[in-house]
Amino acid sequence: MKKLLVVIGLFSFFACSKNSSVKMKGSDTEVNLAVNLAEKYTEMNKDFSIAISGGGSGLGITSLLNGQADIANSSRPLSDEEIEQFKNKGIEIKTVVFAEDATAFIVHKELPLDEIDLETLGKILDGKIKNWSEITSKNLPINIYGRQSSSGTHSFVKKKLKIEFSNAAKEMTGNAQIIEGVKADKSGIGYVGAGYVAHDPAANTAIKILKIKEKPTSVAYSPIDANTINSSLYFFQRPLYQFVLAESWEKVKPFIDFEKSEKGKKMIEEHGYYIIEDK
Amino acid sequence: MQYKTNKLSSVIEWGTLLSTTLIVCFFLIVIIWEIVSKGASSLSWEFISKVPSEGMTKGGILTPIIGTVLLTLITALFAIPFGVCCAIYLNEYAENNWLTRTIRASIRNLSGVPSIIYGLFGLALFVQALQFGTSLIAAGLTLGLLSLPYIITTTEEALKRIPNSTREAALAVGATKFETIKDVVLPSAMSGILTGVVLTLSRAAGETAPILFTGAAFYINGSTGYINQEFMALPYHLYMLSTQHQSIDQVRPIAYGTALVLVIVVFLLNLTAFYIRYKYRKNEN
Amino acid sequence: MRYRTRILIDKLFKGIFKTTGFLVLALLGGIFAMLVYNSVSFFLDIKPLDFITGMEWAPTAKVPKYGMLPLIISTTFVTLGAMIIAIPLGIGTAAFISEYAGKRLKNILKPAIEMLAAIPSVVIGFLGIVVVSPGIANMADLPNGLNALNGAILLAIMALPTIITVAEDAIHAVPNAYKEASYGVGATKWQTLRKVIIPAAAPGIIAAVMLGVGRAIGETMTVLMATGNASLIPSGMFDSVKTMTATIAIEMGEVPYQTTHYYALYAIATVLFFMTLFANLVGEFFINRFRKYHAV
Repeated sequence: MKKLLVVIGLFSFFACSKNSSVKMKGSDTEVNLAVNLAEKYTEMNKDFSIAISGGGSGLGITSLLNGQADIANSSRPLSDEEIEQFKNKGIEIKTVVFAEDATAFIVHKELPLDEIDLETLGKILDGKIKNWSEITSKNLPINIYGRQSSSGTHSFVKKKLKIEFSNAAKEMTGNAQIIEGVKADKSGIGYVGAGYVAHDPAANTAIKILKIKEKPTSVAYSPIDANTINSSLYFFQRPLYQFVLAESWEKVKPFIDFEKSEKGKKMIEEHGYYIIEDK
Repeated sequence: MQYKTNKLSSVIEWGTLLSTTLIVCFFLIVIIWEIVSKGASSLSWEFISKVPSEGMTKGGILTPIIGTVLLTLITALFAIPFGVCCAIYLNEYAENNWLTRTIRASIRNLSGVPSIIYGLFGLALFVQALQFGTSLIAAGLTLGLLSLPYIITTTEEALKRIPNSTREAALAVGATKFETIKDVVLPSAMSGILTGVVLTLSRAAGETAPILFTGAAFYINGSTGYINQEFMALPYHLYMLSTQHQSIDQVRPIAYGTALVLVIVVFLLNLTAFYIRYKYRKNEN
Repeated sequence: MRYRTRILIDKLFKGIFKTTGFLVLALLGGIFAMLVYNSVSFFLDIKPLDFITGMEWAPTAKVPKYGMLPLIISTTFVTLGAMIIAIPLGIGTAAFISEYAGKRLKNILKPAIEMLAAIPSVVIGFLGIVVVSPGIANMADLPNGLNALNGAILLAIMALPTIITVAEDAIHAVPNAYKEASYGVGATKWQTLRKVIIPAAAPGIIAAVMLGVGRAIGETMTVLMATGNASLIPSGMFDSVKTMTATIAIEMGEVPYQTTHYYALYAIATVLFFMTLFANLVGEFFINRFRKYHAV
């Protein structure tokens, strides 16, 4: 009997509820940066409490819709359908742009290909070109390492290239798995946030980042060149969003301010993202 | 015709069966060896007493440990009373009619339902319908539902083993049925019930699918343990570290360490159950 | 007075106990109702025939396709592969433990099998990524080992304890009279095993296999981590596959509630529910058949 009381006591101790906690969900591209930012911010403000999850931009936005999150990290803007859904539910949201990201296309270091034009890239990703021999000297069937459909990066690439991904594309559950996959696969090609690749020094020994050119005769740009990004010349660059429930804005504001502060901006850049000063 | 026993062929036959057994044991040994050898280097007092830091590439796994402990506690507090009461009903009160047979069949079917369907049900019932949101309580209750069939089955078996003469003796001295159950049957069946409970809890501690949509989070920055907030948990942490994390190579040792802690927790619970069962059998004899 | 209170308490608890019994029924009913309600919502949009025989699962494409065939085939591939590995190993081990192992060996082996059963699925999936995947990749000269074979091996490891335990019970339960009669006419141990014991234990062994199948079909984390998750119809064991359980796990978080895609995932869950239900019912049927031997 006594033991039961102790257990119940212990449980009640933990059973207090907290309402000032922030729930952040969404983009895998942004999640690690968010975790680091949250850690640093907690050092400054001990009362701040946050739960962060990944899962993809789609999951973040859905969580906002379903009332399961306060902030959605998203590496893509809201689709028209989503805006409609928010309106129908009467949910108001605020948009914050906290960094600029470039999507890098990576291949194995030994593949004899350094730059690629958009049309060829599109044909590879939607499965029309199936073997590297069609554009390089290596005869290997192409292995695509992509993300699941909940990924903002996945939607972004699809939209920019105006294609549907081939069914043979492997759906990895995170940027990290894609890098692992291409590292070990001489015939692999994948897309990841440039931030991921830049931040991982070990990755660069086994993979290389393709330079992108709009047409076979245009200039090819690399996503890890700061000047290119600042001049918005890289084809696959995009702002990283955070959508915040208007009713959670007060709770969330201190953290957003931190992201925009000097310390925050420095951390963002260290992660391989870019800050485009407000245009 | 073939009555001449061929020594060689019987050795081969024995050898074939032995080799299948050895392969199975080999699986077990490889699993344990891999986890222990690569995870032991991460184990330390700091590992289990510090929270994750630096994007989870350093620090410890205290937050997931707390999460798993609390989850298991909620599971126990929900499933044990519910399950034991149901088992008592089935064994002590229920008549052998179609209703009872249906209930028994339901329990057997529930134990075969995949854990992800329990996750979906938990999502629909606790997170959405009852508005608990993604939280410790929603996930704990979901795990509780998952554990229910097993606790009911093992408790019923433990109750069955108590001979009816014991019950009749109690009734004969004037106890009510409830008092018989409370003071005579349950105490005698306690070790069997406990064995089942501990085994069930060890399974619940290792489950990932049910907590995927009901409240597990990648990272919690501060204090955890609030029942209406999200939480970290050991199995989910292992899943995240091995598939989603940014610097997969850097966190690999931590992943091994998490796997080792999880396996140790589960094994300890199982050993406890074995011990209870062993002592119980000794007392029986 | 005291007596009346005691009677009241007795009646009260009788009511409580009875209620819990019905609540369990309600639980199964609730799960079933949830699955059916959402699936029906799905079938209002998509024809069931298209769903079951459609060759493409692409719910987020511009023209969403909800064909379940690749998923069913993926699940079947991995489960079949797992059973091909697990059945011989499982029955062999069960026969060994029951007929050949001495008492001391039994006391080591049986707990060992229970230990194997206790390992959480996420740990097995993890080992699939770090041990089995490079192993397969090296042996078959593939870029990576996240494919159906990997999933099959892991599922076999997960199903083995179930198969071994139930099969061992079945073999052990064959009455001694059968064995003695067989030895009496001069059969060897192996001949007895093959021609008398195993056939006699057949219902129990089939039960063991069906329960193992049920376990394998419903497993989520292991296949999620180790099979590569490409929604194609697989052409061989070295292809990446996306099982039904992995599909639900991956896509559930991303769908807004109450959309066609959301309902589609519940439809998959319903099919999954019936598949495991079927496997378990068949298993149960055979367990009841083999229980008859206890009466002998």
